[in-house]
Amino acid sequence: MSQYTETSGGFLSRIKFSRELVLLGVLIAIVIVMSLLSPVFLTLGNFLNTSRYFVEIGLISLGMTLIIITSGIDLSVGSNMALVSVVVGFSFLGGVPLPLAIVLGVVAGLAAGVFNGLFVTMLDLHPLVVTLGTFALFRGLAYGFSDADAVSSFPAWFAYFGQAYFGPVPGQLIVFVVAVVAVWLLLSRTRFGRYVYAIGHNEEAARFSGVPVQRVKLALYAGTGLLVGLASVIYVSRVSTARGDAGLGLELDVIAAVVLGGASIYGGKGSIAGTVLGVLIIATLRNGLLLAGVPSTWQLFLLGVLLLVAVFLNEFFRREEG
Amino acid sequence: MSIEGKGEMMSKTLRLALVGFLAFAVAACGAGVGESPEGEGGGEQGGSGEGGANKICMMPKLVGIPYFNAAEEGANEAAEELGVDLTYDGPTEALAAEQVRRIEQFTQQQCDAITVAANDPDALAPAMTQAGEAGIATSAWDADVAEDSRDVFVNQATFEAIGQTLVDIMAEQTGGEGEFLVVTGSLTAPNQNSWIEEMEAHMEAEYPDMSIAEILPGEEDLQLGIDVTIDYLRANPDTAGVFGVTTVALPGAAEAVQQLGREGEVAVTGLSTPNEMQPYVESGAVEEFALWNPVDLGYLAVHVANAQVEGNLPESGAFEAGRLGEVEMLAEDEVLLGPPDVYDSENIDDFDF
Amino acid sequence: MSGVSTTRVEKRSDGLLRRSMARPEAPALIFLLALVIVLSVVADGFLGTSNFEGILAQVVVIGIIALAVNQVVLSGEIDISTGSMLGLCAMAAGTVAVAGGGLFFTLLAGVVVGAISGAVNGFLVTVARIPAIIVTLGMLYALRGVLLLVTGGDWVTGLPAETRVLGIGSAFGVSLPIIILFALFIVMELVNRHSDWGRNVLAVGGNRRASVLAGLPVGWARFWAFVLVGVAVGIASVIYIGRAGSVQTNAGTGLELQVIAAVVIGGTSISGGRGSTLAALTGAVLIGVILNGMVLLGIPGVWQDAVLGALILLAVSTDVLRRKLLGDKA
Repeated sequence: MSQYTETSGGFLSRIKFSRELVLLGVLIAIVIVMSLLSPVFLTLGNFLNTSRYFVEIGLISLGMTLIIITSGIDLSVGSNMALVSVVVGFSFLGGVPLPLAIVLGVVAGLAAGVFNGLFVTMLDLHPLVVTLGTFALFRGLAYGFSDADAVSSFPAWFAYFGQAYFGPVPGQLIVFVVAVVAVWLLLSRTRFGRYVYAIGHNEEAARFSGVPVQRVKLALYAGTGLLVGLASVIYVSRVSTARGDAGLGLELDVIAAVVLGGASIYGGKGSIAGTVLGVLIIATLRNGLLLAGVPSTWQLFLLGVLLLVAVFLNEFFRREEG
Repeated sequence: MSIEGKGEMMSKTLRLALVGFLAFAVAACGAGVGESPEGEGGGEQGGSGEGGANKICMMPKLVGIPYFNAAEEGANEAAEELGVDLTYDGPTEALAAEQVRRIEQFTQQQCDAITVAANDPDALAPAMTQAGEAGIATSAWDADVAEDSRDVFVNQATFEAIGQTLVDIMAEQTGGEGEFLVVTGSLTAPNQNSWIEEMEAHMEAEYPDMSIAEILPGEEDLQLGIDVTIDYLRANPDTAGVFGVTTVALPGAAEAVQQLGREGEVAVTGLSTPNEMQPYVESGAVEEFALWNPVDLGYLAVHVANAQVEGNLPESGAFEAGRLGEVEMLAEDEVLLGPPDVYDSENIDDFDF
Repeated sequence: MSGVSTTRVEKRSDGLLRRSMARPEAPALIFLLALVIVLSVVADGFLGTSNFEGILAQVVVIGIIALAVNQVVLSGEIDISTGSMLGLCAMAAGTVAVAGGGLFFTLLAGVVVGAISGAVNGFLVTVARIPAIIVTLGMLYALRGVLLLVTGGDWVTGLPAETRVLGIGSAFGVSLPIIILFALFIVMELVNRHSDWGRNVLAVGGNRRASVLAGLPVGWARFWAFVLVGVAVGIASVIYIGRAGSVQTNAGTGLELQVIAAVVIGGTSISGGRGSTLAALTGAVLIGVILNGMVLLGIPGVWQDAVLGALILLAVSTDVLRRKLLGDKA
């Protein structure tokens, strides 16, 4: 679907670029409310704990942002995570040395992404239905290879990935910041990034102006697969277990974060800054609700509603500018 | 606005975002200087030692099924009795990763005791160990975690007792002979597999003419349990009986036998709750079945956790647990609720779980 | 998800074979036939009325919902909230049944709850203009949350026999749910071909822009499709609780994937505007046969999702290839 977004001058268009400011405000508001609800919320220990969870979502959200900007989507990220976890765990169990097993896992994630990308580009299929199919396929492969079992007997150093600290800062946070900067540079400072926005604005026009649309899209799905591979390794080491039920429901959090961050599902809009804020908001919301003793059943409901509200506001503001 | 302009605009907002991020971090650091609970105060008895109610944090495998709702009832009962501050919550799906997260939150919240029914014994071990190192009393109930990561396990019934009770019930109804189907949850669930092992051992020892022909997974899905049982019984009409060893598998098996119209011909027994099984006991599809009382189990788990915090959990012999009276300690780190209960048409109405 | 209309103009000189092959459900029907033949030879116990009845009984719930979701997909949208919707409707219907409401009110409860959920979906898609994938993804979680909150996690057990009749009853020797499935199939086929709404749905899905320009009620066409899904889920939920005898809080989990798979594998195009009611029914039966075949061949259940996913990909790929072979403009 193509959109012709015109940016007219005036007050309303300034709302667009201060969307990130609005999100920042929302984040701060949430932090304030949560800290009032629970004395433990605003502590270093809690923040660092939370950061370990949101790194996994955050890494994948970076890739998803670019995909959504091109008006695509990837519903298979959670299942991909399960597949990578199982590849890592069960090849290790099968006698493969752990470092190699980790590499195999990341490669598996990349391969899965390429698989998605090929179906979308070569067969010209809609990403929604392709990733719906791989959503089932990858999860099924994960369950099948693991026989619904789990591997937990990893050597002590493996926990390093997921549980280590450099001084007071968790290792993953550093990985995440590096990734954020790298993807942001890619999107805003390179020709590739301009291609991504161009495809999102108007794929036909981009194609005619010489943008290698198929290759860019393939790269995006592959790149997201790679990020999933990386996030999965961090995840497995954090929980010290490789299971086929990893990443269940992950796609909801990732898509919600990206959409909350300002990306339009119709393509052409989105930013890394927004996505990072979206990830932070969702992570602090989940964390704060847990600490405040809100039962899990409420959280399920609230997150579904949050996604709907976020998208609604997105599209509402987008049409205001139109 | 040109694409280049967009780049500049983004760099401004990205800077803003990073600033916000760092501000959050700094604020957290500032607030955290006084209160970081990360394991350094190992000598502190997990936080609120100085008075105020003991804070007990209890987690089932998942919320939203009657078995764990019943445990919550018992837990609340004990909490009121003992005057402790109880938090009972768990994930909405039986996921080990979600439980790990909650254990870490509990640790952050400085609970005095954490007790969990584990979806995966090894996955939860690191988080439980960390909690223990932070001075929190750790225990497990219903489904154990790795032994060295918790102090005590509150066991509802020994594997042998469960296996033997089920086989004895079945033997009585089928004259001690025949081939049997077992419908379980997931094929890799450790508890269920241990029970099945004990069943097979008991058959070999006491009823050599009984044998288990097949074990099918019902995956805790009622309709699936019904369907696999129907399919199996159609393909193997000489099956003497069906064991349903989870609270979902048993009603599924009973329903299947009923839909095939073979009540009384094919014996059905297993583990499930009285409320679930009532219609089937009434219709005759199931004569007797077993379980333990999950309300009592939840009640006991809270008592044990509290005793841990207070420091008066005995090392052997018997443990005094409120209205349950004296409860046996199988080992220094294991408390036993008691033998399994057997339910039939006479006593099924006495229970509400 | 609109695009250029994909219906190939049929020439009178085309043979019957060519025209049959061009029908959307053709590949699925052929595949089904081939699979039935292969399984009859290879799988013990496949060939037999009781097995076939068993297969059909197991796909009734998926089939009924697929017939309705088919309309949504034809209109160019999608609905992946059906699993949680089923859980909610089943819980509502079951609660009324146990409270002594009798069959009529049980059915009414299920249908009303379903229609309301469907209306919410439809409203959010057409009025709030949120993309359907997001709406139904959000609702998938929100509805399950509502279900857990409202029930407090308690199951509904002990449904009275009279309320279970739609699930396990029979008439004229045929199982009642199967009769209901075929009755609804006929109704949907008639609606599709002969009603204004049915034709609007196809037009909207085939070419949204043209439909708007032609003055068709684009919003209402899609809205009612979502409501129809709700109604179908409501009916299916009463069959579901009839068969199961009690209602768990995780009822319907994972169903949405099987429903979409049925629609897509059966031959309805995900881009909209192309497909048929028979496609949805064929897809549902095909899935039932495959799952049954897997059990009979001893393939462990853990591979089930992988098979479903592979089939979805295979189905949509062959659809593309077939159109290219037949010379359709994609």
